[in-house]
Amino acid sequence: MTVTVEQAAESVVQPKAAGLSQRLTAWMPVIALVAILAALTVADPGFFTQRSLTAAAMTAAPLIVLAAGATLVVLCGGIDLSIAAMASLSTVFLALWLPDLGGLATPAVIAAAAALGAVQGVAHVVLRIPSFIVTLGGMSIFSAVALVVSDAGTVPVTDDSTISWLNLYVARYIPMSVAVALLVVTAIALVVRLTPLHSWVTATGYSESAARLAGAPVDLVKIGAFCVSGACAGLAAVMLVSRNFSGNPSMADNLLLPAVAAIVVGGTAITGGHGGLWRSVAGALVVTLLRVGLPIVGVPSAYEQILYGAIIVAAVALTLDRSKVMVIK
Amino acid sequence: MSIDVEEKFVTPPPAPVPALEVRGLVKHYPGVKALDGVDLVVRPHEVLGLAGENGAGKSTLLKALVGLVKPDAGEIYVRGERVRLRSVVNAAEHGIGMVFQEQSLVPNLTAAENIVLGSEGAGVRGGIYRWDRMRRLAQEQLDKIGSHIDPLARTDSLSFADRQMVEIAKVLRIEQRSQHPPVIILDEPTSVLEAKEIETLFAQVRRLREFASVIFVSHRLDEVLDVCDRVTVLRSGRSVGEVPTAGAAPAELHRMMIGSTGSDDHYHDNVATRAETPARPRLVVRGLSGRTFRDVDLDVHAGEIVGIVGVHGSGREDVCRALFGAEPTTAGEVTLDGAVLQLSGTRAACAAGIGYVPAERKIEGMVGPMSVAENMTLTRQRARCSGPLVSPRKQASLVDSWISRLSIRTPHRGTPIQRLSGGNQQKVVLARWLVSGDVRLLLLDHPTRGLDIGARSEVYRLMRELANSGVATVLLADSLEEAIGMSDRIVVMSDGRVTAEVGCPSGAKPTPLDLVKEMV
Repeated sequence: MTVTVEQAAESVVQPKAAGLSQRLTAWMPVIALVAILAALTVADPGFFTQRSLTAAAMTAAPLIVLAAGATLVVLCGGIDLSIAAMASLSTVFLALWLPDLGGLATPAVIAAAAALGAVQGVAHVVLRIPSFIVTLGGMSIFSAVALVVSDAGTVPVTDDSTISWLNLYVARYIPMSVAVALLVVTAIALVVRLTPLHSWVTATGYSESAARLAGAPVDLVKIGAFCVSGACAGLAAVMLVSRNFSGNPSMADNLLLPAVAAIVVGGTAITGGHGGLWRSVAGALVVTLLRVGLPIVGVPSAYEQILYGAIIVAAVALTLDRSKVMVIK
Repeated sequence: MSIDVEEKFVTPPPAPVPALEVRGLVKHYPGVKALDGVDLVVRPHEVLGLAGENGAGKSTLLKALVGLVKPDAGEIYVRGERVRLRSVVNAAEHGIGMVFQEQSLVPNLTAAENIVLGSEGAGVRGGIYRWDRMRRLAQEQLDKIGSHIDPLARTDSLSFADRQMVEIAKVLRIEQRSQHPPVIILDEPTSVLEAKEIETLFAQVRRLREFASVIFVSHRLDEVLDVCDRVTVLRSGRSVGEVPTAGAAPAELHRMMIGSTGSDDHYHDNVATRAETPARPRLVVRGLSGRTFRDVDLDVHAGEIVGIVGVHGSGREDVCRALFGAEPTTAGEVTLDGAVLQLSGTRAACAAGIGYVPAERKIEGMVGPMSVAENMTLTRQRARCSGPLVSPRKQASLVDSWISRLSIRTPHRGTPIQRLSGGNQQKVVLARWLVSGDVRLLLLDHPTRGLDIGARSEVYRLMRELANSGVATVLLADSLEEAIGMSDRIVVMSDGRVTAEVGCPSGAKPTPLDLVKEMV
């Protein structure tokens, strides 16, 4: 029995109220968004126009959906590295299924992606493998399956009548894909917010053992998070196909880093518990603006990956509460 | 050894400069005075025992001695010279080293690598291991303690006792840094050893005395008396006595450790309200076995508080967790109100009306950054929901009513629970099981750990009220006094088995010494 008085005593310590730095990180994504918009407008006054903003928003739509879905997993304390590969695989599935299933192809692809996500969740929970490893494996497997079923090439979509509605505009200016992305994210966020899920997800992310000992359905919540993450990747794939008129086994692969960057730039703690879906939406917009903004300020787009890498490391450095993490692995 | 001691006792040496001396050491934590003016003297070539109950301040004192804790006041002298210990390395430079209770060896390195780890010295040149030199350095250390362990054996292939020898050999490396005989601290070194291994360890401790001073910490008083020359007893952060072990009786030491027994009032004991014991117990445990316990039988009636007492390694914590489905079992049957429990997981236990308050409140009991309201309703979501949705109105009235019923001092129900004091945190954690009103069995693992007197008293009152309302309670108390004061019956566990059961009715309470006899 090592009742160390200090262990017990620490719990009496009352942490200080939120400091300036905490409030700053809370609003970081919005501040960054405004700053980048302003900077780009200064660099190129033609940027702040309806046309280019609409184009940027359209580019952002799949990223918003991808990042928001994976945010749920991160909130639970895990990570889903398979989202991009899952989305690529889903574009192939969609392109292959459209001729036969028509309008049913879209829900079928989303359901398939959700199922694959759930399988990863089950593997993580039942086999007790870190989510990082499970989804790294998933990433590789999904990529390979996509290559196999597509014969390692682009699958063209000849009849896109059932998905072309995503290229329409709502109220003349808002791209349909953006509207759908926001709608889906809002729906997920509301369900989480208004039900006990919020408590369960947060408790699981902050302290899985405490959540378990309080009788929270930790395993189900985690599997659910992976399932939603998968479904979101499926939806992102539908958006990509509607824009590119084809499916491709590596179509979404370059979205993994931006999606993770969107999550951490949004201020969701990579260690779980703290954060939210709307944060990732803001993060996705920041990342997208940076992406489209680089050529405007004269930086070759080849430098994009450097930027993502730097953003991820810097954002985590700002948001990670190192005092609570004893060992950094 | 006893002759040796008696000689010392009869003709005290002309007071040599103590190897280590502590004067008036004070360490505050918010709400708790961990050290309240501790005095301690370790003479050269002496084995000093350190005894004290949980929370007496032993760990804090030891940590202060190796520079892990910075004292608020008081002085530490090494061979008469005042020192400030800033870190473990700094303490080692002054010749103080500690063998930690939780072993600190890296399992997949060889014994030799572990021994020189962090103080490689000549074992490394130009950043590269010189294996032969390192092996020789390690061998020297092992020779010092007369151990025959192969320095090239992987640490995880060694027995626990051997690993402890490696630790001691490793600690003795501090001789390299300091020109003087070292002071070696052994923190609960015997808690996981078999009887034969303990003998080897004791022989080792006696050998250490030839060239070092030793501080030996154990809660087994017989061991302390066996191996030590003198014992210093700590109670509530103070040194309350210093006894030569020759001729000292365990009972006497124990009395010093626990001090005067608390009055029953403190525990809100009340004979009149005690309900009649119904014929059939609410909880019936038969032959429950698991990793650390075997054949445990336990009955708890509705409205009864049953304390389980036992020393470290008795398995009582694991029995508690097993009943909650948080620890696997291999055999046994558990029934609650006649229905067989599956013990398949914490969800099932919660659904069956079992509540559990873990000992590690900060890590397992609560989710610090979450609000009081969310923590309180984490288990019984239905109590705050209408349909599938959380009803803010329902939650507000439910949580507020419990905040006032338990007089939880919090600015608001939305305040993160980590901003509350320990006692109020614990009340929120307890309330978690009460909000739905269907809890039948409460498992309380050190519910008052780290709480001050006032908060303890409130938790006691709450436990009484719950018992009076018919809840069956299993209590793992922080101290024997608490177990005796709160329980109606006490079950004693030792080495994973139930060894005794002592009735503990109001007005006819056993003394702590009655229980200690059964525990050791």
